[in-house]
Amino acid sequence: MIYPQKINANKSDFIIKSSILASILLAIILLIINKLITPEIPWAALTNSGIVYVWITVLYAINKNINIAGHVLIQTIAISLLTVYIDYRLGFNGWSLSIAIPIIIIIANLTMLILTIVSHKKYIRYAIYQLIIVLCSMVPVILITEKLIEEPILGIVATCISILNLILTLALCARDVKEAIIRKFHV
Amino acid sequence: MHNKLYWRKLDNSAKIFPISTGKKYSTVFRLSVLLKEKVNSKILEQAVNIALEKYKSFKVRMKAGFFWYYFEENNKKPIIEKEKDYPCKYINPRRNNNYLFKVTYFDKKINIDIFHSLTDGGSGTIFFREIVYTYLELLHPDVFKEKERQIRKVEYNTEDSYVKNYDKKAKSNASTKKAYVLKGNKIGLGAVSAIHEIIELDKLKEECKRNDVTVTQYLSAVLIYAIYKQNYLKTNSKKPIKVCIPVNLKKYFVSKTMSNFFSYITLEAEIKKDGLDTFEKILEFVKKDFKEKLTEEEILKTMSANVKIGNNPFIKIVPLEIKKALVRLSYIEIRKYTTITFSNIGRIGIIGKYRDFIDYFLMLIAPEPVEKIKCSGCTFENKMAFTFTSILKDNNIEKEFYHFLQSKGIKVKIESNGVLDDISSKN
Repeated sequence: MIYPQKINANKSDFIIKSSILASILLAIILLIINKLITPEIPWAALTNSGIVYVWITVLYAINKNINIAGHVLIQTIAISLLTVYIDYRLGFNGWSLSIAIPIIIIIANLTMLILTIVSHKKYIRYAIYQLIIVLCSMVPVILITEKLIEEPILGIVATCISILNLILTLALCARDVKEAIIRKFHV
Repeated sequence: MHNKLYWRKLDNSAKIFPISTGKKYSTVFRLSVLLKEKVNSKILEQAVNIALEKYKSFKVRMKAGFFWYYFEENNKKPIIEKEKDYPCKYINPRRNNNYLFKVTYFDKKINIDIFHSLTDGGSGTIFFREIVYTYLELLHPDVFKEKERQIRKVEYNTEDSYVKNYDKKAKSNASTKKAYVLKGNKIGLGAVSAIHEIIELDKLKEECKRNDVTVTQYLSAVLIYAIYKQNYLKTNSKKPIKVCIPVNLKKYFVSKTMSNFFSYITLEAEIKKDGLDTFEKILEFVKKDFKEKLTEEEILKTMSANVKIGNNPFIKIVPLEIKKALVRLSYIEIRKYTTITFSNIGRIGIIGKYRDFIDYFLMLIAPEPVEKIKCSGCTFENKMAFTFTSILKDNNIEKEFYHFLQSKGIKVKIESNGVLDDISSKN
């Protein structure tokens, strides 16, 4: 071998297609759950538009060859702030904190996980953003302990997924993450 | 005392690259050397810093002026790191201590990726060779105790040899016909496939001698034939297959510049019109086209036409940002005038004992969304490395090229980066 190992073009195509298929299945499942359990609140529309939004962002970022992880981080923060603002304008029922932000965090973590798998050997470029996303994912914990959320289940799920994602990333690239932290924060 | 900051204008060719470059059009080329032992990164870093002091024309960063970009002295250290990304990717100066070249290593291989504004393949090779010589001297001080290389001041300059040599009156006969564009799905995720066909040179030369052609002519013909069989025949296109062959102008004009000084000729194979449906007919056509186009007079015409554009007073006074927008728009069209590029930088001469530590050299050029495959070649000892860099998912052209040479009794070994790995590691 005279080159570092790269993922095969057909394999990466397969991963993307399977991920899109998984997203569609997830959207259908969410829709069914919504119809069966709480048909009076159309929350599945919110989650499904989140999924569509993430895919548009990811595909755009891939085509433009930009650092997708940085993009995901900015989007996560921006959309979270936007949902809180919308919630506040609508009389602050708390749905932004108990539903929207945990869902955004879950999707951001899943996107980072897909990126780590798809961009084999390039995940170091994403490691620092991954860490920041995990730190942001701790926000629901603060909200739960401060009793700002009435329904904490989604928040707990989001935090657990973030921690699992962090463990997986560390297992894959612990040394690289350390190097990235030293490089970015050197004085 | 206050030292004046060194700066220089970009040469005539270099001007266009930063204006037209983007993440998809990196205009980066790569030179690699395969050594016989693993690369020592610390020594490589030292070697690059020493070589950079000798070739200060590379120790620069690019700044935007009001009308044109320019080079300014760069006092930062270059970043030397392990190869991670695909070859010839866009060099982001902000992530590279502002340098316009990047040295990486992997196992026994040293790479230098160079943004074309900085220099061309010929001068890039001179700088890269200096890095390799210095690296080997530092790594094996006992072997290179007696200085084999002459200790002399490196004689070069950074003049714009285009402006010095162009002919104001020369008129270009450039073809206005659009070229056949390679068809096929692209590889996703910004990946680039690199397939190297390491050809046994003496057998290739025998075959060329038998057909009374040069190596570049013969390989250009094989390339056109492979495109014809594996891509062109699947379409109803009537457009010509146009192969752009860069030409080193230092062979035609006296110049010691380390800046760009190259031009090109374009072979225009009218497959349908001229009935070029066999390899023999294509080879005859290539031979004839080279004879007509590779003359000092023709090269001067092409070069002069390009210099005149850059020297046009109206173009000169257009602000850079407007130039960028206009050039990017017009380049969408301009790129449709070439099917493929084949750049052969020829023999890379290495002296004395240094040769014992080197296996072979590679050259790679960045493919683009329109010119989806680019080819390059270089020779060391009895090995000619012909490289395909591609963003096409189908590698039938590469396979056809390989099988054709094999069928002529020429031994070819395949190396690749594994992106389209059903052709990798064939002997």
